[in-house]
Amino acid sequence: MGKVVGIDLGTTNSLVAYVRDGEPRVIRDSSGDALVPSIVSLGEEGTIFVGREAQRRLLTAPSRTVYSVKRFMGRGAEDVTDEAALLPFRVGGEAGGVLRIGLGNREFTPPEISAFVLRELKQRAEEHFREQGEFDFEVDRAVITVPAYFNDAQRTATRDAGRLAGLEVLRIISEPTAASLAYGLDKKNRGTIAVYDLGGGTFDISILKVEDGVFQALATSGDTHLGGDDIDRVLIELVLTDVGGVSSEALQAIRKAVIQTKWDLSDHEQAEIRVEPQQAGLPAGYRRPITRAEFETMIRPLVDRTLGPVRQALSDAGLEPSEIDEVVLVGGATRTPLVRRLVAELFGKTPHSDFNPDEVVALGAAVQADILVSGRREMLLLDVTPLSLGIETIGGVVSKIIMRNSTIPASGREMYTTSVDNQTSVDIHVVQGERELVADCRSLARFKLRGIPPMPAGLPRVEVRFQIDANGILSVGARELRTSVEQSIEVKPSYGLTDQEVERMLIESFEHAQADFDARLLIEARNEAESVITATEKSLRRPDFAEVTGGELTGEEIAQIGRALADLKQVMSGTDREVIHEKTHALNHATRHLAEVMMNRSVREALAGRNVKDI
Amino acid sequence: MTPNSIPVSPVTTLECRNCGAGAPVDEHFCPQCSRILALGRHGDYFTFFGLPRRLTIAQAELERRFRELSRKFHPDYYYNATPAERLASLERSSYLNDAYRALRTPATRIEHLLAIEGLPSTKTEGDSGGAKVPPALLEEVFALNEELDEIREQREAGADPAALSARLQAARVPIDRKQEEHERQMEDLSAKWDSLPETASPGERRAALEALRETLLERNYINNLLATIDREVASIGLQSPDSGLRSEDSPKTEDRRP
Repeated sequence: MGKVVGIDLGTTNSLVAYVRDGEPRVIRDSSGDALVPSIVSLGEEGTIFVGREAQRRLLTAPSRTVYSVKRFMGRGAEDVTDEAALLPFRVGGEAGGVLRIGLGNREFTPPEISAFVLRELKQRAEEHFREQGEFDFEVDRAVITVPAYFNDAQRTATRDAGRLAGLEVLRIISEPTAASLAYGLDKKNRGTIAVYDLGGGTFDISILKVEDGVFQALATSGDTHLGGDDIDRVLIELVLTDVGGVSSEALQAIRKAVIQTKWDLSDHEQAEIRVEPQQAGLPAGYRRPITRAEFETMIRPLVDRTLGPVRQALSDAGLEPSEIDEVVLVGGATRTPLVRRLVAELFGKTPHSDFNPDEVVALGAAVQADILVSGRREMLLLDVTPLSLGIETIGGVVSKIIMRNSTIPASGREMYTTSVDNQTSVDIHVVQGERELVADCRSLARFKLRGIPPMPAGLPRVEVRFQIDANGILSVGARELRTSVEQSIEVKPSYGLTDQEVERMLIESFEHAQADFDARLLIEARNEAESVITATEKSLRRPDFAEVTGGELTGEEIAQIGRALADLKQVMSGTDREVIHEKTHALNHATRHLAEVMMNRSVREALAGRNVKDI
Repeated sequence: MTPNSIPVSPVTTLECRNCGAGAPVDEHFCPQCSRILALGRHGDYFTFFGLPRRLTIAQAELERRFRELSRKFHPDYYYNATPAERLASLERSSYLNDAYRALRTPATRIEHLLAIEGLPSTKTEGDSGGAKVPPALLEEVFALNEELDEIREQREAGADPAALSARLQAARVPIDRKQEEHERQMEDLSAKWDSLPETASPGERRAALEALRETLLERNYINNLLATIDREVASIGLQSPDSGLRSEDSPKTEDRRP
């Protein structure tokens, strides 16, 4: 068995953590950075770039680079038409089907894009374990977090992403409850906790009760389209009103600039939006001063939008704000002073921020992963389903089967019968949401209940059982009670991938993984060849070449270097990395004597008191 | 597609899928091999919780038992178990959560008691629209309907929303009072059921249950009336100070100043 980790798959950044000796810890890269930007870019060679490298490409290849893909998980093309205008990459797909993102000449579904990020985190963790001298360093299982307010389709899309990344997804847990687990570690106390989680793209509020190590979610609410991204957009639109329409390169430069300004305004009363002037197609050196007060006036409506869900969750939990013992802030956007102030006002107490708000969710996911595999039982997380589950009845009205904020796992039953004689199937439409009409709820799946034994109308009694598991994901089963015949159910997810599609993508991703790997190796081979060529040419062009090599190198040797150099240059642009390796090796071999001569001369000159730089 | 109550066939023993031993239906774990048992066609939330069939339950005690059973059943703790045990854990956890939800509040607790004692559900009757007005509410319902009709007329005639809102608030007062009175009545009847001696005749038990059912029907009716007033308030466009939190479709919070 390999290692198990906890992953916070964020809108803006993602990170991975694990538990060692009962302590959760995040995995950092060599420079101490834990955050992997959730950005994926398709290189011209077909290479996939993830994280910082992809982030740099936002400015140079915006149309081939996708960010904030979490906003598109489990959604349809028609859901995002408003947002698509501001995005530099293509968003499309069939109406009523899974959304697709176009990068270069390839198309990806959101779970595939997320899988690239997850794979990067998996590799990072494996590298970490290998460096620690672990014999068994492979990471094969994970707990992945999602916003509490994610619906079934969004959770399923996240689980699919995990599978595509080669991870067994042990559990999908909600971000605020994960955060509460991390907090609960040091304080084995009891009481009610409110977790206010404002991330890059989503907002969640969860109210939990903690007692005897049981973390019981009482209520949750939120907005899956509200976060730091929206704050950025307010500032971007401010700049755009000044400069008018710009290229997508420039748009990304503006985005980068306003994010910096947003951060500056968390620490200072005044800052400046400063767009890098060297970017192509930009108004040279755009600058605009902005005060924190102005900024707060602009973003106030966004922050106010979080208050509705907070009140809703409190009301569902049957609690007054004053009855909350502790308030915990999670998510990068809670660094904004206005957010802290409004939350403090609402609950009448200063919110906690003992943990880094960017890291606490991953820590909690690692704790949950450890609970699942280690058998430790001192803590238990009881989460709730954020949205009511219902089925369509006559007239397009929703009949609710499992109410929102029900502790999961939860189940519900519904009886069906037939309306005409000898009818053998019934159509069922499952939706999620709080509204009365099907049209106002989220369509989850449609399926046909088949195999009902032929009987007079109204006689069959088909019991359909809806089961929401501990991941908040739905499954359906059915049985005809008179005959005890199990019904076959084919569930077609409305905005998700079928199992067959996931299988196919998995196979393709293996194929592409090889292609991606090959492309990466080719680039590395070319880079190596390039550096040998540069070094050789530099030596050959030295004005004192003849003087240095005179009497040391034969004419034949010099001719050989020339031939090897020409050979390598010729194969450089090809795609056969073996040939490039071979010719690089040949040139290296041919120039060995030359390099020795050069080296000896340098040493002699250095000993003679001359500065090495002069050589 | 109307939900019907399914006749629950009495199951008295379970068979352990692991060792094949028989176990009483109320056991959670096999007495022989101590593995988690698959859920039979269980029907009684009280015995599932190990509680007597009484309506007065100490909240703290119920919560304690809920946490204790959660720790025994939760799928988190069966990750490495056999598929049969994992399924049993999922089923038992779901059932526990359903049971906890039902027993947590007095009204749903009574509803469950009526179901396991074989009385028809109060839900289907309340939802069918043509529900009879409970005799105890006739006066209030008549007055309210008249007032609502007038308010609707005035609203369509373009009357001042603030004035209409005030009238609705006033119309709400007698219903709210009725609801409070009703809560007390429900408590009294619950206590009466709890104090029935073991030796009570089937007739006495039946009478106590019928009284509970009657009061539950009234309660549903009162809630529907209050919901009607809330909908009316919402259609005027002004929010009553305390109803905004309850309704999902309420306007944005900043509009909620009275």
